[in-house]
Amino acid sequence: MIRIDPRTKIIIVILISSAAVIIKDIKSLIFLLFMTVLFCKLFTIPLLESMKKLRKLWYFFFILALVQSLFTSGGDIIVGIGGFRILTTVGLESGISIIIRMSIIIYSALIIASAPVLEVVYGLIAMGLPYEIAYMVLLSIKFLPLLKEEFADSIVAVQLAGAHLDKIPFMQKLSLYTYILMPSVIKALLRARCISLSMECRGFRAYQTRTSYCKLKMCKADYLTILAASAAIFVIVFFI
Amino acid sequence: MSFYTIDSLTFSYNKADALIGNISFNIEENQHIGLIGSNGCGKTTLVKLMLGILKPKVGEIYLEGSNIRGISLSSVGEKVGFVFQNPDKQLFCPTVWEQMSFSYKYGSRNSKDGINSNINYYLEAFDLIKYKNSSTLELSRGEKQRLALASVLSRNVKFIILDEPTTGLDILRRKQLEKCLLSLKEEDKGYMIISHEAEFLTKYVDKILRLRTEGVEYV
Repeated sequence: MIRIDPRTKIIIVILISSAAVIIKDIKSLIFLLFMTVLFCKLFTIPLLESMKKLRKLWYFFFILALVQSLFTSGGDIIVGIGGFRILTTVGLESGISIIIRMSIIIYSALIIASAPVLEVVYGLIAMGLPYEIAYMVLLSIKFLPLLKEEFADSIVAVQLAGAHLDKIPFMQKLSLYTYILMPSVIKALLRARCISLSMECRGFRAYQTRTSYCKLKMCKADYLTILAASAAIFVIVFFI
Repeated sequence: MSFYTIDSLTFSYNKADALIGNISFNIEENQHIGLIGSNGCGKTTLVKLMLGILKPKVGEIYLEGSNIRGISLSSVGEKVGFVFQNPDKQLFCPTVWEQMSFSYKYGSRNSKDGINSNINYYLEAFDLIKYKNSSTLELSRGEKQRLALASVLSRNVKFIILDEPTTGLDILRRKQLEKCLLSLKEEDKGYMIISHEAEFLTKYVDKILRLRTEGVEYV
């Protein structure tokens, strides 16, 4: 199996997501989605499992598409009450475009997610990003689950303190969540400070450059993959 | 009917090794139990199972005759007070006063009468009254430990579980904890203490339970 350099994955993701934002035509977006899925398959990403994990996000996208469809006017009326337009052909097209565009961005993000986080960081450094910022990215990725864990612990503590989250009124529940969110965020930030302190104690930022045991090297397969992706996107943008 | 009935309980975090293997014991409402065991033997896990935070793989846990699988965490929390090993996990309110009054504000069973005097009593007892309006994040580890203890003791729960409550306490505060444990005994309230300090346990509990992978035994 050919090992793809993380820089290749980063470049492909930048190309695909930029194209997803630029392209307005629905037909071209469908081709781009098809191409993204092909690349996901090439990088052996389990698409079905990933889709299941991101289930809640899809619900959000559908709501977004629905809102977009209802609030975009123009074209022929598909659904209407009296003289009032509810859904038009342009609205529907706009809603479908949103879903396809979001799918492309999510699938392309999965390409980066398929590489180990540390490799992505090394890739970013090799591409010229200052290592302080690259490590900041790494830490923020690591901190998302920590923040989630911190919040989950608070919820358990709240329940063990006798608060019935399912019974209290919605507004009170909302105030309760904001109430406990702030200490959770502060605790996560304090933890981040401890980590940055321990990193600096081990010489982080003491020198302009950093040595690394992981040496990245682009091979022929990397260049071919980037070339293929660029060519495909060029065709989709200008010829479809 | 016992307050807690642990029946053939088995639990593991992974499929390969059982951390807790087929243990059974009962705890009465007014009993004072100590739980000991080596590091990583599953003491905190056992407590999490008893509170319903984790679900047993095999076997059942009954709280006042009801299977814990069917009871919400909040309902367990109304009957059982739990002092976490790490007080940071327990303190979720912005200020000391809010932490102490939380159960009265959001809980359903506690009587709302005499809230202030009750909270003040426990803040005085644990030498925290001067931090009444301070942020919980400004407290030292020992102070956080005392606040976690005070917030649980101030609630009218039937049984209290304390996970290594002496950690981070100086001699004076330890004496205060001991005083509280004695007053709990006088009130005929039960508790379970997880600790490595056998001497401390023998003074304040009636029975000591040793947890091992093979099972539990009274020592």
